[in-house]
Amino acid sequence: MGGFLDYSPGNSFLHRLNPIVKIFLSLMICVSCFITDSPFFCIAIIFLNIVMAASAGILPRALAMLRTLIKFCTFLFLIQVFFIRDGTVLFSLPFDIYVTDKGVMFSLMMAFRLVGATLPLALMLSITKMNDLSNVLVGTLGMPYKYAFSLTTAIRFIPVFTAEMAGIMEAQTARGVAFDTKNIFRKIGLIFPLCVPLLITSVRKIEGAAISAELRGFNCRKRDSGYKSYPFRAADIGIILFAFALAAAGAFSPF
Amino acid sequence: MIRISGLSFKYEGGRDDALKNIDMTVCKGDFLGVIGSSGAGKTTLLHAINGIIPHHFHGDYYGSVKVNGLDTVDNKPEDLAGRVGSVRQDFESQMVSSVVEDEILFGLENFSVPRNTIEKRLTDALEKTGIKNLRERNIATLSGGQKQKVAISAIIALMPDILILDEPTGELDPQSSRQIFQLLRELNENHGITIVVVEQKIMLLCEFARKLAVMNCGRVILQGRVSDVLKKSRDMERAGVNCPRVVTLADRLRDEGLYDGAIPVNIPEAEKMVRSIMG
Amino acid sequence: MICFENVSYSTSGIDIINNVSFKLKKGCFTALIGANGAGKSTLARLCNGLLKPTSGSVSVGGFDTALVRTSRIAKFTGFLFQNPDRQICKNSVRDEIRFSLECVIEDKTEIGIRCEKTLQEFSLNGDRDPFSMSRGERQRLVLASILAAEPELLLLDEPTTGLDYRECMHIMECVSRVNKKGATVLMVSHDMEVVQDFASEVMVLNDGSLLAHGRTKDIIRNEPLLARASLLPPQITELAIRLGGGYENAVTVDDMVLSVKKHIRGAE
Ligand SMILES: Nc1ncnc2c1ncn2[C@@H]1O[C@H](COP(=O)(O)OP(=O)(O)O)[C@@H](O)[C@H]1O
Ligand SMILES: Nc1ncnc2c1ncn2[C@@H]1O[C@H](COP(=O)(O)OP(=O)(O)O)[C@@H](O)[C@H]1O
Ligand SMILES: [Mg+2]
Ligand SMILES: [Mg+2]
Repeated sequence: MGGFLDYSPGNSFLHRLNPIVKIFLSLMICVSCFITDSPFFCIAIIFLNIVMAASAGILPRALAMLRTLIKFCTFLFLIQVFFIRDGTVLFSLPFDIYVTDKGVMFSLMMAFRLVGATLPLALMLSITKMNDLSNVLVGTLGMPYKYAFSLTTAIRFIPVFTAEMAGIMEAQTARGVAFDTKNIFRKIGLIFPLCVPLLITSVRKIEGAAISAELRGFNCRKRDSGYKSYPFRAADIGIILFAFALAAAGAFSPF
Repeated sequence: MIRISGLSFKYEGGRDDALKNIDMTVCKGDFLGVIGSSGAGKTTLLHAINGIIPHHFHGDYYGSVKVNGLDTVDNKPEDLAGRVGSVRQDFESQMVSSVVEDEILFGLENFSVPRNTIEKRLTDALEKTGIKNLRERNIATLSGGQKQKVAISAIIALMPDILILDEPTGELDPQSSRQIFQLLRELNENHGITIVVVEQKIMLLCEFARKLAVMNCGRVILQGRVSDVLKKSRDMERAGVNCPRVVTLADRLRDEGLYDGAIPVNIPEAEKMVRSIMG
Repeated sequence: MICFENVSYSTSGIDIINNVSFKLKKGCFTALIGANGAGKSTLARLCNGLLKPTSGSVSVGGFDTALVRTSRIAKFTGFLFQNPDRQICKNSVRDEIRFSLECVIEDKTEIGIRCEKTLQEFSLNGDRDPFSMSRGERQRLVLASILAAEPELLLLDEPTTGLDYRECMHIMECVSRVNKKGATVLMVSHDMEVVQDFASEVMVLNDGSLLAHGRTKDIIRNEPLLARASLLPPQITELAIRLGGGYENAVTVDDMVLSVKKHIRGAE
């Protein structure tokens, strides 16, 4: 329960936005992170993400995600920072390893961008119902329903498969496979054979989902079949403008 | 209603026929339970009724299946869906939405039900299954029994005359399983929906179903009214199906020459039986 | 063998197990019953260290689960999950059993001997592809691969749901056989008749709390207790309770027939 992409219900300002606008906003946040050169701007964006998550009532999930991302990015940062050789040397270690100012700057920006760009997409997906998403993709953007449904189904299945993988690991640990080993390479070697049961269960589940969609008239669906309508309101327009402003601010941020 | 005659089917690449020369009629208003050991062909039989066979699974197909006069070979599953509603095994991973309301809308939208009637169909479906209070709930937070009820409502909303279910209580505890069968009984008695249900829990079938079919190795070896089928308890056991223990008790008492009445299918009837013996 | 002391477990702010204490003796066959979501699977996972208690302590075979690795505990415990497909990862029955053995013993010749012995004992064909077998056969294969390692403790999470009657009996007979040889068994189940026929002790779990722990024949007769955990007594027991006077002790069909005869003779 509460997997990181599951829909989290609510009635906040963000929840009520048009799904297209939600996706647009999160995409623009990503874009602004990548076009900016300013670490301060990135920090501001990450902070903005956290505030948005708090206003949508998913702060704990956002913080948990942030924690994981920071761990991952610290790892990347450490790898990256030793590989960049130009710029002024800040300090050096034995074996001809040294750290430069450019290296620090570049690695830091990469880490910030990664965090800033991953958070909004994940947060938006967890406050948007997959049905609404596929409905607007079909209704507003004119995507064929089959593609929209496949896309949203793929997203919906991510938590299912994560849970299945966790279950498989658990079953293997219980029979004595030593996943709790400290040696990471051994661990990867042990995980590899588990792709077999995962693949088989996945194929079976997807086949089942396809049959039941067929039985519920999936093939009859037309473009205007959607029951709910998704009007653009003043707030939506406001957010679109805000998203553009954000991207512009990213491009021309002075620091 | 459903008329199956001389049906045989072999899956593409299958070694043996999954269904062998099946003849079966399900009348309007019936409540039929299907039981049999695993691999007996129960799921295959349901797939032959809703048109998944031969339209989705291909293979050697002989005989005919008619649902309300429509031949399943000439009509696609989606054309039959308004007549037969199917609730499949492993219903959990087949839900398409995160919220109950959307799950039910999915089918209604697919069949382009007119907008002004959608709301009524939605509330009716929730009311019939008794889960009106769950409408806004997130499906992930529901219990297994409630999820199964959502799956049933989503099908009921399409207003089928026939409801077919594949092991609907497989993962549920005894109390939730009973609730599902009580719901099926209500749909059957108050709303006139014909029910065909595959189930391993023989006690539930004996208590709630009116007719019983026993399958073994692709054949229907016994079919008829529940009490008539239970008289052949030896044949059932040979097919790997157990009888409820009150039925075994009645058999034993009959062998001892102590009892000669109707076979009890539930506890109150069994109590009556024992009291009648004691006079 | 297993000892829970004031064990609580919670995850993401929800309490799943509340202050549970119990002791299971070596060699007993205990059933754990309760409604869906009562916390049975969680409790079973706590037993072999897949989950660690939030507070309190769990010890299994003398090891505190919070202090040793799960893979160490797995050397003497077997865990059968409800879904066999999560365990099977090899292409033949023989490899699957060998793989289980390799996780717990080192000696190659010993592995070979035990593997062949297991194949015979469970009448399995070593060359078959597990994924072409039926659900019940796969469940039996997984059980066989677990039992091949001769565990002292066997944890079973709903081992018979989804199986037909014949497969169910097959599984239960295997379990009962190893229990007679001295293994401790803890089985999560919904099927009151299986519980009645095989378990000697029963624990009733409701909403994460242990409602009762006692002898099977006392617990399954306690209708109010079972009702609190959304369960029903097995058919013959319920019939016996309803009949009252002289029938209370009937548990099996045979008992019932005997009681009826006794009553008739008494009346004459
Ligand atoms: N997709 C398939 N392809 C080939 N054989 C199949 C397929 N599905 C089922 N079978 C075979 O058909 C037989 C009947 O299966 P099924 O109808 O699923 O049985 P039940 O539902 O009674 O357990 C089994 O022997 C099974 O192996
Ligand atoms: N990882 C988890 N996160 C949150 N809740 C959980 C988790 N695992 C189980 N639960 C909840 O704990 C309760 C007990 O679950 P479980 O032990 O699987 O019950 P049982 O096996 O008795 O059906 C359920 O209400 C379930 O929703
Ligand atoms: Mg089946
Ligand atoms: Mg469980």
